[in-house]
Amino acid sequence: MKDLWIVASYTIQDMLKKKTFLISNLVILLIIVIGFNVPNIISALEGEEENGSAKILVVDSENVFEGALSNLNAMDLGYEFIVETKNVSYEEIKQKIEEGNIEDAIVINRKDGKVHIQYLVENMAMMDEVPQEAVNSLTTIYSNLQISKLGLSQEQLASLTPNFEFELAQTAEQEVKGNVFVVMILSLVLFYAIYFCAYQVSSSITTEKTSKIMETLVTSTKPRTIVLGKTIGIGIVGILQVAVIVTVALICAKTCLPEGMLESVLDLSQITPTLGVITVIYFVLGYATYALLYALTGSTVSKPEDVQTANGPVAVVAMIGFYLAYFTMMNPTSNLNVFASIFPISAPFCMPFRIMMGVATPMQVATSIAVLVVTILVVANISIKIYSNAILNYGSRVNLKDMIKMYRSK
Amino acid sequence: MILGILKKDSGEITWNGKVVERKHVNFGYLPEERGVYPKTKIYDQLMYFARLKGMKKEQADKSLKDWAKKLEVEQYLDMPAEKLSKGNQQKIQFITAILHDPELLVLDEPFSGLDPVNTELLKNVILELIEKGTYIIMSSHQMYSIEEFASDVLILNKGKTVLQGNLKKIKEEYQANKLIISTNVVIDNVIETVGLKEYYNKDNDYTIAIDGEEDGYKLFHLLAEKDIQVTKFEILKPSLHDIFIEKVGEEQ
Repeated sequence: MKDLWIVASYTIQDMLKKKTFLISNLVILLIIVIGFNVPNIISALEGEEENGSAKILVVDSENVFEGALSNLNAMDLGYEFIVETKNVSYEEIKQKIEEGNIEDAIVINRKDGKVHIQYLVENMAMMDEVPQEAVNSLTTIYSNLQISKLGLSQEQLASLTPNFEFELAQTAEQEVKGNVFVVMILSLVLFYAIYFCAYQVSSSITTEKTSKIMETLVTSTKPRTIVLGKTIGIGIVGILQVAVIVTVALICAKTCLPEGMLESVLDLSQITPTLGVITVIYFVLGYATYALLYALTGSTVSKPEDVQTANGPVAVVAMIGFYLAYFTMMNPTSNLNVFASIFPISAPFCMPFRIMMGVATPMQVATSIAVLVVTILVVANISIKIYSNAILNYGSRVNLKDMIKMYRSK
Repeated sequence: MILGILKKDSGEITWNGKVVERKHVNFGYLPEERGVYPKTKIYDQLMYFARLKGMKKEQADKSLKDWAKKLEVEQYLDMPAEKLSKGNQQKIQFITAILHDPELLVLDEPFSGLDPVNTELLKNVILELIEKGTYIIMSSHQMYSIEEFASDVLILNKGKTVLQGNLKKIKEEYQANKLIISTNVVIDNVIETVGLKEYYNKDNDYTIAIDGEEDGYKLFHLLAEKDIQVTKFEILKPSLHDIFIEKVGEEQ
């Protein structure tokens, strides 16, 4: 037990003292700070050029709308409309757009008995159709203009105005809270955190093996102590790392993002201390599962160039687990998503978000944690046995057959 | 097997009446494969191993500094291991094996790859440990170093024991087989008179193959009778090197 802590604390110190570790973390934090400031940076750059809302020139030289276009500005569309009833040539409009005097232009003509409306933008790359707002506004104004000519009574006019009430509803019984896409991004973050922390265990073991220090190490303490101590040490560093990153990200989100932006994508009321605790639990369990798998593959390697090949299977398992969680999350009430939240390789990336969205039952959570704990015990047992046998194998890479033999040997 | 690295097929290993296990026996081990953490400071890794061997921090600090001083690697304690030469890395590993003052020390080829100065340094430390009563199991291909330190030997060939026992007793069983004699004149004819045929002469320093001490004394008497001045006379038993060649050669 004391040795376990010695191994863990040595692992922690060794990691924290490495320059590469510090630098890569600083880079991550820097990217986060810059990322959250992107909206500010963009508005700072644009703010100098223009004040107020963008302008749109509306040219109705044939007076198709009979002066009703002035209503456009009253519709509060976020643009300032400049209505022109004289003819404006295409070249003049082009020049105005390029100089930035106006954002877009709308040119209205009669053509073959139809009203032809051209929406001019500088570059079509970012849009493939005329903005729906413009279409709707112009349609409404034109309809009202024509209706007013019919000389209808008040009742007749009132009956023409649609009196709709839209409501979105679902057939599934559970209600999903929050934005699924935000949840999917958070799931991706959790996946990377777990995966890369676990990967460290493999590379740490491989380093010990390739530097031939293993012989000294296994005569100093039990193989089990080494595997578990390492896993614990790297796990603690991983949690610290994630905690620092999440804290910085939250502080940045609160201080740097425009007001209301964070709340618009994420219901902050869902982020409770309970959820925090549950996420940490799943991080720890998920990390332990993958770290122990990596300890197994890491111990079978004796040359640094074999690391990729040996770790391949774990990477595949992790990918399957992650995608299972990720894609079923699009439909959080499906049975497949329930399965993903209990299946041990996908549960850590899935369950915290089901809880966050309010679709997980306490029974599911308990089952999922129990399944994970059992999985960890089984994986730990296999990993430690194979590790003990494989660490002093310096020949060719250990294959599956050797591993089974190692597991069976006492 | 003693260290718990390999699994034994059968039998039992005991030390002072107890089954050899990490918790019963305080042992140290210097593997033949040189291994250190390349990126970690020497001090940190020595401290790590000392702590794993059950030492307290202050105790470990003192012990590792003392040994570093003795083995002249004090100035490297704050450096990462990859900056050290092979010989110095080996000394660091040697410190790892002994800093917790083990009662049983296993050394696997301790001198391979060391220059003469460092070899001497290490020899002195090993002799010091022997004096202190540390029990050392050393494996080596250099018979001279074995002869220098060992009291009991075991020679293995292809995993089978070819020779085993107390080195002094083994040597006693062997007849003297070599005579070294130095004179101021050529004595080829005298040697042949005694009946000795295989010899080697370099500036009147003769190395002669003999079959037992008697041959040597016979030659000595004859030289005395002839009034030939002898400056060196030494009857030798076969060295471990010779015994090794003989034993392993027989097997093959």
